[in-house]
Amino acid sequence: MHQSILNHRRYLWLWVSIALLAVSLFAYIWHEPVGPPNGGSWLGYTLGTIGALLILWLMYFGVRKRRFRSNLGSTRGWLSAHVYLGTSLVLIALWHSGFQFGWNIHTLALVLMFVVIASGFFGVYAYLRYPSLMTQNRENATRDAMLEEIRELDKSALQLADQVDKQIHDVVLRSIQRTKLGGGVWDQLNARDASDMALLKLREAVLNYTPERPKTTGSSATMVMMVDFLASGAANDKQGEALRKLLDTMSRKRSLASRVARDIQLQALMEVWLYLHVPLSFALLGALVAHVVSVFFYW
Amino acid sequence: MPHLGEFMKWLIRRAVRKGKGAIQYEEEIHFGEILQIGRSASQAIFLNDIRAALEHATVTAERSGRYRVESLIAAGVRIDGSIRQGATIGAGSTIEIGTTRITMIKPPEGYEAAVEVTQIDKDEIKARDAATRLPTTLSETWLSGRRPAWILFVLALVVGLALPVLAHYASRSAGKPDIPGRSLWETGELAQAHHYFGQDCRQCHEKAFVAAKDDKCLACHGATEAHADPVKFPMFELAKADCAYCHRDHNGPQGLIIHDQSLCSDCHTNLAARTKSAQVADIGDFAEKHSQFYVNLPAWNEAGEFKPVRTSMDKRPLMELSGLKFPHEKHLGAVDGLQSPTGKRVLECASCHQPEAGGAKMKPVDFESMCQDCHRLSFDRNIPDREMPHANVAEVRYRLNEFYARAALDGSYRDQTLLPPTLQRRRPGQEVTASERQDVVSWANRMTLQRTDAMFMGNCQMCHTVTVNAGADLSNMYTVAPVRVAGVWYGKSEFTHARHETMSCDSCHAAAASKTSADVLIPEISNCRECHAGEGAKGKLESTCTACHGFHQAPYPLKQPHPVADEFTAKEQSASTAP
Repeated sequence: MHQSILNHRRYLWLWVSIALLAVSLFAYIWHEPVGPPNGGSWLGYTLGTIGALLILWLMYFGVRKRRFRSNLGSTRGWLSAHVYLGTSLVLIALWHSGFQFGWNIHTLALVLMFVVIASGFFGVYAYLRYPSLMTQNRENATRDAMLEEIRELDKSALQLADQVDKQIHDVVLRSIQRTKLGGGVWDQLNARDASDMALLKLREAVLNYTPERPKTTGSSATMVMMVDFLASGAANDKQGEALRKLLDTMSRKRSLASRVARDIQLQALMEVWLYLHVPLSFALLGALVAHVVSVFFYW
Repeated sequence: MPHLGEFMKWLIRRAVRKGKGAIQYEEEIHFGEILQIGRSASQAIFLNDIRAALEHATVTAERSGRYRVESLIAAGVRIDGSIRQGATIGAGSTIEIGTTRITMIKPPEGYEAAVEVTQIDKDEIKARDAATRLPTTLSETWLSGRRPAWILFVLALVVGLALPVLAHYASRSAGKPDIPGRSLWETGELAQAHHYFGQDCRQCHEKAFVAAKDDKCLACHGATEAHADPVKFPMFELAKADCAYCHRDHNGPQGLIIHDQSLCSDCHTNLAARTKSAQVADIGDFAEKHSQFYVNLPAWNEAGEFKPVRTSMDKRPLMELSGLKFPHEKHLGAVDGLQSPTGKRVLECASCHQPEAGGAKMKPVDFESMCQDCHRLSFDRNIPDREMPHANVAEVRYRLNEFYARAALDGSYRDQTLLPPTLQRRRPGQEVTASERQDVVSWANRMTLQRTDAMFMGNCQMCHTVTVNAGADLSNMYTVAPVRVAGVWYGKSEFTHARHETMSCDSCHAAAASKTSADVLIPEISNCRECHAGEGAKGKLESTCTACHGFHQAPYPLKQPHPVADEFTAKEQSASTAP
């Protein structure tokens, strides 16, 4: 079975998290605090310490994943633990707080933590789903190979266009110049690229193109006229052939371009959530420090 | 300037790369005003590049020595780095088509215009492509991870930590907390009563990293009493427990007083294990482990002082020796009312039992306003409207004496035949002789004795127990048993009628069936258990210990050094810290 971050080592970290949550739940139910459950009871302090240490260890993943030489477990193992223990933090923090909320730094830390974890859920989804989508989309090619093929198609399109008419050649040339794959954040995430519009325009121009029939002089000799006619007829066949081939080339380029755009999109989706997950986890770190210090400052 | 036209001479210099970095120049001449560039063989500068159109662009030499470049196709031509349809350029500018660069150069001697044709370096093309290509990954866009992370981290620390700390230290300087931020640290709402000073955290949290100590609480709550006699019960928990052991603020407007049953039952379910002097039975849950109530029954000691006796409601026989004879049944039971001097009167509980202001207990029953309407204290049928005062023996005798003396003197007594002959039919204003005066006094005394005897041995016995003191003088002849009807029945708990006013009196007090005043009509525990149960009760009111009992109710100071308790606690502390 495919080994993923979820079933790594037969769901080892899932069981660890469930065990941690079971023990905490049992303690929470059994414990009778003075007054309502809160972070200041001995169980509250214990769960708070566990939660804070967990948060620090979870953030350390950013360091571990960049230490390529490290043998301390595998990166995938660390990520599996990161995901499961990070999810368990939801309940640990709620039990630590005794479900007390207010407009203060303490609940701010909790909310930041929830947002970080929620963005992490999207990350898990992205990491499980998008790689196989990317592989399917690439159809055994690489992105560079696809881009190279697009360049080749450009060249042959120009040549074919040249065989039809210089007007077509001009249009194709302009379209190639204007075709740029990629874009800003929004464009990348929406698999949009400038090539779409350029190709549409090109398609229009090509479909609307009617080869100019050379004018036959009315009083020319029939032979000349026939030769002319034959010549123009034969030229029309060749042009027609080139035109058909050009349209095929354009279609192929169009599908390649959209596959490249989809490739870019999937990769962007796999990365975009981290721009929320990581900065907010640092905000959480700051709020956590403020929370812990304030609790002991006004003990 | 020579006339420009067909005799215009262009120098076209081509740079051709040979091996090992050597460049060879080939020159040719073009005649004409216009220099054509394209892929067609007819062009002056022939470009064998499919990206060039057959007739791509033209360069026209102008009079001023500058050149006009025009693109012949819609795709344009790259002039000086950017793609345009046309431009006027001078020496040094470049035209690029595909991989060919055409540079305008200063025409040498004998030529009117000159260009140099070179191949663009592959690396340069790559660099330009890299510069102009759009980002294809998010890392190439404006999105950043590091900068927002730093900003948010610092922001959280400044707003969440630095500002409140600053506010703490600055708060006492100007007398008012000016720097905002400490409300961010509040973990929960303060108790209602603390709101009026709660904005200033330092009222309780004086020093940083030091817990709020008892001296801060006692500054206002100094009169709080102890829970039990510290001498009799020298327990560590009682003598030395901090206020904060039970009272934690910042738990909401009603959060300061804990109503948890366990707070009491932790000690009281097994008091014998904790202290030998405990006399209170083990108590736990109200429904399951609460002893029978102890009621204060009226009693008087040898010296005649009122000293109620704490009696269990389970005691048999349970009798209230109130000193009064009063059957509730007689007074409440009459269907259409009692015969009263003013007609039929129906009595109900409220006729005699009125709650005090606040509704906790009932006011004492008042004879004059509640009983005297029917139970008249008339003492002489000759003067039926005149009543004795409801007072002690001496006072009654005194008043009667005065009355009879007066009646003898002014002749107002109706039955004159009872008077001594010398005093009968006296006229007003008639002088009194000395012997008549004697007669008045002795007659008054005799009448008083007679009447008081009749009353105290007769009428008064209806409700009171009167005993005759044989051989005592006149002022001590009768002893009326002391009466205590209303009082504090449950002295160690707090019951208020006000919270029970939706109920009827007879749902707890079996007065209607009571034939004698010896019946204790105060309800006992099974009556309360009909509605009240302990913590976690289903189907009944959850009443924990604090519903009826207080904690701080022993009349001893809360915090006071006491030799016995302190020695005890010192011993205990050293025992707990000993290795």
